[in-house]
Amino acid sequence: MTPNWLTPDLLNLLLQGLLLTVVLTAVTAALALALGVAAGTMRISGNRFAAALAVLHVETHRNLPALVLMIIWAFALPNLFPAELRRSIFFDNAFLNWLSSWSGLSLPYYTLAAGVALVLNTSAYLAELFRAGVGAIPQQHVDAARTLGASRLKLFWKVLLPQGLRTAFPAISTRLIHHLKNTALAAFVATPEFFHSAQTAITRTFLALEFLMLAAIVYLLLAFAFSGLLRWVEKQWLVAGG
Amino acid sequence: MSEHISFLIEKLPALLFGFSGQRPGGLVLSLILAVLAVAVGFCLAVPVSSAERSRWRPLRWCAVAYVEFFRGIPLILLLVLVHQGVGGVRFGLNWSPRTSALVALALYSSAYQAEILRAGLAAVPPELVESARLMGSRPRQVYILVKLRYALRVMLPAFTGQAISLFKDTSVVVVIGVAEVMTVARMALGADVTNAPYWVTMYTFVGILYFALAFTLSRLSQRWERRSRPSDLAHSFFSY
Repeated sequence: MTPNWLTPDLLNLLLQGLLLTVVLTAVTAALALALGVAAGTMRISGNRFAAALAVLHVETHRNLPALVLMIIWAFALPNLFPAELRRSIFFDNAFLNWLSSWSGLSLPYYTLAAGVALVLNTSAYLAELFRAGVGAIPQQHVDAARTLGASRLKLFWKVLLPQGLRTAFPAISTRLIHHLKNTALAAFVATPEFFHSAQTAITRTFLALEFLMLAAIVYLLLAFAFSGLLRWVEKQWLVAGG
Repeated sequence: MSEHISFLIEKLPALLFGFSGQRPGGLVLSLILAVLAVAVGFCLAVPVSSAERSRWRPLRWCAVAYVEFFRGIPLILLLVLVHQGVGGVRFGLNWSPRTSALVALALYSSAYQAEILRAGLAAVPPELVESARLMGSRPRQVYILVKLRYALRVMLPAFTGQAISLFKDTSVVVVIGVAEVMTVARMALGADVTNAPYWVTMYTFVGILYFALAFTLSRLSQRWERRSRPSDLAHSFFSY
């Protein structure tokens, strides 16, 4: 069934990479959505300090390329520290060991750094989309909730969050698909995700075109599946949330 | 602190303009790549977006497949695919990294621009097209003078957003080693272990360069859009 250039150990390598790509995408997308909603809310909270902080976050991380952000977190940051300290802080500590034994994935520091960069980058875009979604909520809904005596917290949970997310969801989906593709950048900072394992396979076999086309097809399928999942979530939401 | 600043000052000309005695590189090359890729991408997007709206199904499918392929795969993968897979020795092309980077970025940008253009073309009021036809315009005139011009105007924010995004995306071409600003930064740091403390300084500075340009460009385009945004699009189109 499989072509003869796809030997079992290469297939195994690719599948491990694929697993990390899926996990990395799921975890960072969820965190980016949470941080994005938080930053978007801070921006409209009316608190000057919180709003300024949110603007700083959004403008910084939207105007920096994701790759630059990743390199800063993964390669540049550890180099600030002297060699001894660097090892114990970033590469050989209890937290990282616990995390990789708990998750069963090989998670070098670079993977975490790439994840942090991805979360920061995507959350900056999502914050703006969420803010726009909240802006599109009819004023009457907010007024009605206030008249009924809803507290600020209730207003946020029952009106702003669900309706803002729902309005912004198509745009958020597009951004999250983009986020999925951005995880491939993590290969550049030595994260053993799918694109990285495809590159490793190429250096072992010198079959560039085959593995790259395979990777392209896998990414297309991933994007397709992810957008299907997001559509399903959107539908559930529209039915469930009245 | 002072040695960090002097390190940056020493590398600054290379970061901005590339290494002396070689073809332009650094930030200038990033900008050139972005501008060329957007221009070539637009030329590709025009036929693709028309094909997407074609009445002949196979042509439409081809256009949709084109757009979905280039929008669905990561840019880093596309760059390596073009450079090693297609432009490599196998087909006897042997493209230089610069050529591969331009081809990949143009294809990538063309798929996004085709989608924007398609949305813009769909928004052209049919009356506008009909009246142009009634006045005896030939199909090409209708397309260029009415449809395309209208689509460009309504979709201007989307086009500028895409262009700025592509400028930031040029950072990815470092994977195939074009001498743009990321590659220059990498080469300037080199494999020298004593350079380790400069990593943060260098990449923070590169980040500031990208930030300054992307931020300025997006502010400029916002202002430009606000000024050129017509109150009544069809009306202002005719009084153009």
